[in-house]
Amino acid sequence: MKIVVCCKGVPGTVADVKIAPGGKAVQYQGQFLTMNECDEYALEEAIALKRAHGGEVTVLTMGSITTQDILYLALAKGADKAIRIDAQIQDSQAAGTVLAAALRKLEYDLVLTGTQSRDTLSGLAGIATAERLEMPFAFAVTQVEVDGDKTIKIRKELGGGRFADVRLPLPALLCVQTGIQPLTYVPPARMLRARQQALRSFSLSDLGLAEQQIVPQGYHFLNIFPPERTGQAQFLEGSAGEVAAALLGKIKEVL
Amino acid sequence: MQSSILVITEHWNGQVDGITYQMLAKGRQLADSLGIGLAALVLGYRLDGVIAALQEKGMDVLLVVDHAQLAQAGAEVQASVIAEAVRQMQPRLVLIGYSLVGMELAPAIAAKLGAPVMTNCVNAEIIDGAAVVTRPLFDGTLHAKIALEDKGPPLVAVQRGATPSVQLPPRTASVQPVSVDMGSIPVRSEVLEVIEEPVSDVDIAKADIIVSVGRGIGDKEKIPMIEELAQALGGLMACSRPLVDLGWLPRERQVGASGKSVSPKLYVACGISGASQHLSGMSDSRMIVAINKDPNAPIFQVAHYGVVADLFEIVPALTEEAKKAKGEVAS
Repeated sequence: MKIVVCCKGVPGTVADVKIAPGGKAVQYQGQFLTMNECDEYALEEAIALKRAHGGEVTVLTMGSITTQDILYLALAKGADKAIRIDAQIQDSQAAGTVLAAALRKLEYDLVLTGTQSRDTLSGLAGIATAERLEMPFAFAVTQVEVDGDKTIKIRKELGGGRFADVRLPLPALLCVQTGIQPLTYVPPARMLRARQQALRSFSLSDLGLAEQQIVPQGYHFLNIFPPERTGQAQFLEGSAGEVAAALLGKIKEVL
Repeated sequence: MQSSILVITEHWNGQVDGITYQMLAKGRQLADSLGIGLAALVLGYRLDGVIAALQEKGMDVLLVVDHAQLAQAGAEVQASVIAEAVRQMQPRLVLIGYSLVGMELAPAIAAKLGAPVMTNCVNAEIIDGAAVVTRPLFDGTLHAKIALEDKGPPLVAVQRGATPSVQLPPRTASVQPVSVDMGSIPVRSEVLEVIEEPVSDVDIAKADIIVSVGRGIGDKEKIPMIEELAQALGGLMACSRPLVDLGWLPRERQVGASGKSVSPKLYVACGISGASQHLSGMSDSRMIVAINKDPNAPIFQVAHYGVVADLFEIVPALTEEAKKAKGEVAS
């Protein structure tokens, strides 16, 4: 089975977040990127499927040269190939357009990604990609079972303690839920070896896309701000004992 | 019904999901500030009960797509039907609950319509005639206000619990069937079965006191410390999603959008940063105490009392105080 995993590089820490010129996106600079955790679960599931059924895993990301680090991590975890699309896109629907264009250049039976990225928290890019490729999809997938040559059976979460079992024809795109597989630790030696491997890259023009085709449309950012504290938290300070005694006093008031 | 706010309803087994009433309340507020009507769309099969439940709930028009093929339809079929209804109706804005069901539908509906979409919103309002949403970024440590341009109709998915489900003044909606050519909609995936998780002995949703633990605990071996505090306070231990993902605690203990919604008298959050999916499951608690090392953790946005400190110092001290109060430890 040929699996492509779409992984996003996200800032490890929140700092220097600004509205980009033009007011249509957010921007951050000079930070190390880590693999978006939801996507890391998708990668682990892809590697588990490869171990069970054979095939190959290609990891696909989008971003500047700094996103290469997450590709090396994916290779160290067991991915076979890694591709970076040289484009910086924050809009999730535009990301879907670009990812779909890259997937058209690749061979695959299954596309896996996470449910959302920790920076935009949109949860849109996966299904937006599937829609552009007219591919069946499922969201919040907790189990994947290969049940035929051309089909898979998955379980997905519906919320409220309900799950649905769904059979999908291949190729299909799955947004996997966190926790689908344990996250594996990568020893530094394996990471060093992975850094020797070659990475492929696509430019937008390689994908037959022009910048103006992938501009977010229909909205603009007004401002970005720390959220208001609706609970008006009262902060307690002092030694552990003092804080505990004060807290218990407050707690007794509601019980 | 041209130029109205359209709410996409969610129901299961004849029961309307609570998030739908929240969207109706928000929809009425938006419709009133624009001076337009409020409509809702319900789709499924044999919907008489759902229609009866919804009809008096404050919308002007209830649009219905009732078809055998929608009895157990997959998300792509539902999204196609909703997109077709939106095309026919041309509402000013579409509201959908950001439940797991809405999370799957919203991007597909938007793609089919080529419409702008904003998910995970904590608010939607009308400012100078334009729809403006507020939504979190970066794990909820920042919020953004985003104006939606009138290209669309724009789709807005609002978090559970972000808007109170106030009872709207009753009125009897006119029920209107929407005609959708089901034969033209591709059916690729097949829903085999819907499974309900068995009810467990531990029901955190019924607890008056919850001590909840998050990733800040760092080590599975430290969890008994939290259990001990829960017992000393006479409550139950719960957790946030990452601990279930790690396999440290069972799913029945999970609070949040994908776990259980709780509203106890007391909720003590230990080492929980407060991702929006967690907050939506507990922010209605009467008293929220948050213990976290990070003063910027979003959990402090909803907490009534905050302690910026190491939970390994505060939790044992609080356990001891609670035991003292019960007379289990000589003071």
